[in-house]
Formats: sequence, structure tokens, C-alpha cells
Amino acid sequence: MSDNSTTTTGQTLVGIGALLIGAVMAWGATFIPSDAGYAGVGPNALPWLVSVVLMVCGGWLVWEARSGGYREMEAPSGAASGDWHAVAWVIAGVVANAALITTLGFILACALCFALAVRGLRIAEGKAGGDAKRAVLDLATGICISAPVFWLFTKLLAINLPGLTTSGWL
Amino acid sequence: MADLWTQLLGGFATAGTPINLLWAFLGCVIGTAIGVLPGLGPAVTVAMLLPITSQVEPTASMIFFAGIYYGAMYGGSTTSILLNTPGETGTMVTAMEGFKMARHGRAGAALATAAIGSFVAGSIATVLVTLFAPIVADFAVTLGPPEYFLLMLLAFTTVSAVLGKSTLRGMTALFIGLALGLIGLDQITGQVRYTGGVPEFMDGIETVLVAVGLFAVGETLYMALYEGRSTTDLNKMGSVHMTKQEWKRSIPAWLRGTVIGFPFGTIPAGGSEIPTFLSYATERKLSKHQQEFGTTGAIEGVAGPEAANNAAVTATLVPLLTLGIPTSVTAAILLSALQNYGIQAGPQLFTTSSTLVWALIASLYIGNVMLLVLNLPLVGLWVKLLKIPRPQLYAGILIFATVGVYGMRQSAFDLVVMLALGLLGVVMRRFDFPTAPVVVGMILGPLAEAQGRNALSIGSGHWSVFVERPLSIGLLVVLAAVLLLPRVWKLMQRR
Repeated sequence: MSDNSTTTTGQTLVGIGALLIGAVMAWGATFIPSDAGYAGVGPNALPWLVSVVLMVCGGWLVWEARSGGYREMEAPSGAASGDWHAVAWVIAGVVANAALITTLGFILACALCFALAVRGLRIAEGKAGGDAKRAVLDLATGICISAPVFWLFTKLLAINLPGLTTSGWL
Repeated sequence: MADLWTQLLGGFATAGTPINLLWAFLGCVIGTAIGVLPGLGPAVTVAMLLPITSQVEPTASMIFFAGIYYGAMYGGSTTSILLNTPGETGTMVTAMEGFKMARHGRAGAALATAAIGSFVAGSIATVLVTLFAPIVADFAVTLGPPEYFLLMLLAFTTVSAVLGKSTLRGMTALFIGLALGLIGLDQITGQVRYTGGVPEFMDGIETVLVAVGLFAVGETLYMALYEGRSTTDLNKMGSVHMTKQEWKRSIPAWLRGTVIGFPFGTIPAGGSEIPTFLSYATERKLSKHQQEFGTTGAIEGVAGPEAANNAAVTATLVPLLTLGIPTSVTAAILLSALQNYGIQAGPQLFTTSSTLVWALIASLYIGNVMLLVLNLPLVGLWVKLLKIPRPQLYAGILIFATVGVYGMRQSAFDLVVMLALGLLGVVMRRFDFPTAPVVVGMILGPLAEAQGRNALSIGSGHWSVFVERPLSIGLLVVLAAVLLLPRVWKLMQRR
């Protein structure tokens, strides 16, 4: 976000986002009965308040963005533009984890997530993502982290995490 | 007084059992480690470990969590002195002078004054908590829903409007948090709200989900997107000790820092940002070594703020335990840990769960000693943690995030929500929105709503219930002052 025009666009979009959330909340609030009882305010009072305030904030943010940018804004840390290639790998890791955790089990799904995320983060540092050997090594590292975590939480603390087999060890 | 003493001794008896000592030690170790490591804070760590509340008994887990909370403060100062990347807002000031000291070969002294200062301030603050918390609890029993509602409003206002730079962005963040808190069943009528027909949303959004998504996943995504090429350099460490002269300069600074920090933690003014800055300003004004500030680094500028930070952090336990009102993100997550046990934090806590409360307070004394031992001689060991390469570190954080989120409800759907919240976290960080109001709003929102509606029920629907009692009028005045004074101040300065 180095030049001014993208900053304005980004800030406007964020403001519109808040406005939209407020609008969706307002739409949702119409489905909540008012059933106020003694209090005079029912379960729909806070939803309405939240939606109205969010819409006002969103509108205000848009106005600030269009009139010289957000006030008292601290310059964001890091690079001026995002490394979308790198972050795509990280997101893929989390998505793969969510999709596979029940079938592959905690250890393998997390190791896969780790390997994909490490690849992305390495690319973000400007290094090569790595060849197949590197990927295997990353997977192994992932297993070395997730397996002890799995055993610690399931065996010692009796917390339910999914396994690939019913043995309780994998 | 004698009563207090017996209760405290009872607390030591509970906290001193081998198993509870082990939990405290474990908490201190984990806390120090995550304090040292970039990317994880105490709030998100406690959040990730919330699933253990289904298995571990309340006293043990609260001791454990408190150890993490505390340990992270000690560890955080190590990082800000050596790496100049403060993890917590409270250690931001430490980084200013501490990093400069380290640059000029005095890292050892800076680390020592930070650790010992934290110990001194933490211990004094724990004594103050011991003395004052029961009194506040006795007083808090007389508070009704209107007062509670106003106290919570005060907490909302300070956390969103006073702390951040922009009130508008703070308010937006707070109301996003309130919106998240609305999802699920209404506490009073049991009415379903904003679930969109998704059964997973019926029970509401878990705290761990929001904290882990916003902080851990958000941080990792932000790292991949923007921070990959940012480099940090590590300062060299010297031997950790202070000269006689440095002791002489540190001691008064520690004490002043404690005095400044403690009151800020007890009032719902949120966090340790204000007291640490105040302490820094005080030390800078009083110091006889003006020339060192901002150049070679003045030891008072580390000692004072570090003490203020720890005193404030300890003091947040007073409103948390006696009123059930969290004034920081970590306190908010501790509150939701108590909620997981069905324990209602508030004045009744001192009677209904007195064993837990006193064991927790006793464990703070024990934890402070443990942390001093862990941090002074072993600081070199902790610094080695900073050698973990960043990609592996942040990818590893994702594994722990999965444990926390999936372990809580065994729902893969939650992992998708976690990712969405992570993206929200990236946007918020990029556009300089504060994240603390989101968490506080989400946890405190439903409680405030219930208190507000109960208050109105008492007043049979008349809003005058909020101005009829002297205490509530007082709170309204404070609320107005908190909202208006900073603005008036700004206007006066502009002239």
C-alpha cells in the first residue's frame, strides 16, 4: 500500500466491509422477536444497536478514507504489497487440515498443514520453496511436532483428537 | 486480618501440593517460552489450552493459566531488550530504553533489572491483591445489575475508545466483537440469534476460536503476506548482573513503577499501556542521568516500566476475581476459562470458591519466585529459542492452533471459521484496528447485555434505573469523564 490511491481503495473497502456486516446484522435482527417482558428491551435490542453502530462506523470509515485517509493511522509494518503466492500456501495448509483432519487423523493432517505452511513462509522470506526432498523433510518435521502434541493431549490430558487408526497412537 | 491470614495459609496449602506446584512450574516455563518467542502471547496461549478445562480440575488449571500469564511478562521483556520486537503492548516501553542499553553492551544489566523489577513489583502487587481483593469483594456484593452494567460499559469504553489511537476504529472493533458475542442463544430468553441455521453456531462462538484465529492464525498469515523480508537482529548478551550503582538507580524506579502500575490494573481502564508510559515519563523526569535517555539507554527507563507492567498485570486480577470484569485480553480469556467450569466470577467467588481464589493468589507468590529463578540464571537458555527459524516457528503455531480449536469442540467446521477470523485479523492489523476490543467485546458483551436487561427489568422498563442510585450516577460521571477528558485535553493542547 505504498501509493495513495491503493490506500484509499483499501480503506474504503474495509469501511464498506463494516457497513455490510452491519447491514447483514440488521437483516438478521428482523428475524429475532422483540418479546420484551418487564425489561422493555428484548433479545433483539442489542442486535439492532450493534447493526446500527456498525453501519455508522462503516460509513464514517468510508468518509475518512475518501477524505485524506484514516485518522491517526500508524503505517503498517512490513512490505508495501502482499506476497499472495506465499500466503496461498499457508491458507492451503489450514484448509487441507480442516478438510482432512477427520479422515487422516490429527498427526498426519497437521503435518501436512505444517509442510504446506512452512513452504509458504519460506517463499515469503524470498527463498525457494524447496524440492521434493525438502517437502519430505518438512512433513517429517511436522510429524515430529504433531505426534508428541497428539500423545500429550490425548493420553495425558484425555482430550479428544481424531486419529487415523483406533489404536490411539496414530 | 487474622481471617485473611488463615485463608492465605490455606491457599498456600492448596497451591503447595506437588501436583499444583507442578502445574505452576509448567505454566511459568510455558509462559516464559511464549513470552520470548515472537508470534504468541499469553492470551492466545491460554486460549489454545482452554480445552484442558474439560479434564483438569479448576484450581490446577487456573494456577497453570496464571503461571502462563505471568511468565509471558518476564519472557516478553527479554525479547524486547534483545530483539526490539515487543510482543505485548506492555513491554513496548521496555524496548525503547532496554534495546538501547543492549546496543551499548549493557544487555545483562537491562535483563537483570527487568527480571528483578518484575519480581519486586509482582510480589508487592500480590500482597496488595491479597489485602484489597476481599475488601472489594465485600463491597461488590452491594452492587446491583445497573452498577454492573455501567461498570461493563466503562470497561468497553476504556478498552476501545481510550487505549487505541482512533476512537472510530476502536469502536468498530468493539462492535465486531459484540456482534460475534451475539451469535448463539440469548442468555435470558433462550432465543436463537444469528446462527444462520448452522448447528455449530448454536452454542455460540468459542473464545479459543476468536483468540486463536485473530492472533495466532492472523499473525501467521500476516507474516507470510507482508513480513517475510523484514529482518531483525539479535543483540549480544552480556553477563546478567548489576553493579552497585545500577541497583541504586533501579530500586526507587521499581517502587515508583509499582505504585503507578497497580491502580491502573484495578480499574477497568484496560491493560498496562498507560501505566508503563506514565512510569517511563516519570523516570525520565526524575532521573539524574538525562543524557542516557534515548541515547545509550537509561536503566531507570527499563526498571520503572517493567515494574509498572507487572504490577498492573497482577492488579487486573482484582476486578477479574471480585467483579468478574476483565480489563485485558488475557483476563478476558481467564474469565471464559472460569465460565467453562460454570464458575461465575464475581463477589460470590470469594465465598463459593474460596479455595480456588486463595490457591490462585498463593500460587502468584510461588510463581514469582519460580520465575525469578527461571529467568535470571537461565536467560541464556531462553534466548536460544529465538534461533528457531521463523517459517518452522509460525507453521508450528498452526499445529497448536489446531489443538486448541479442534480440541474444544471436535469440529472441523471450526477450523474454517478460524481461518476466516485469521483473515479478519490480517485486515485489522494492516489497517491499524486494535484487536483487544474484539475479544473483550465478545466475552463481556453477553454478560453486559444480561446485566443491562436485568437492570431494566428491575426498573420495570424505565431507563431511570441507571440514575436512581448514587453509585450508578457516580459511575456515569466517570464514564463521561473517560470519554470527554482526553478530547478536552487534546483541544487544550492544540491551543
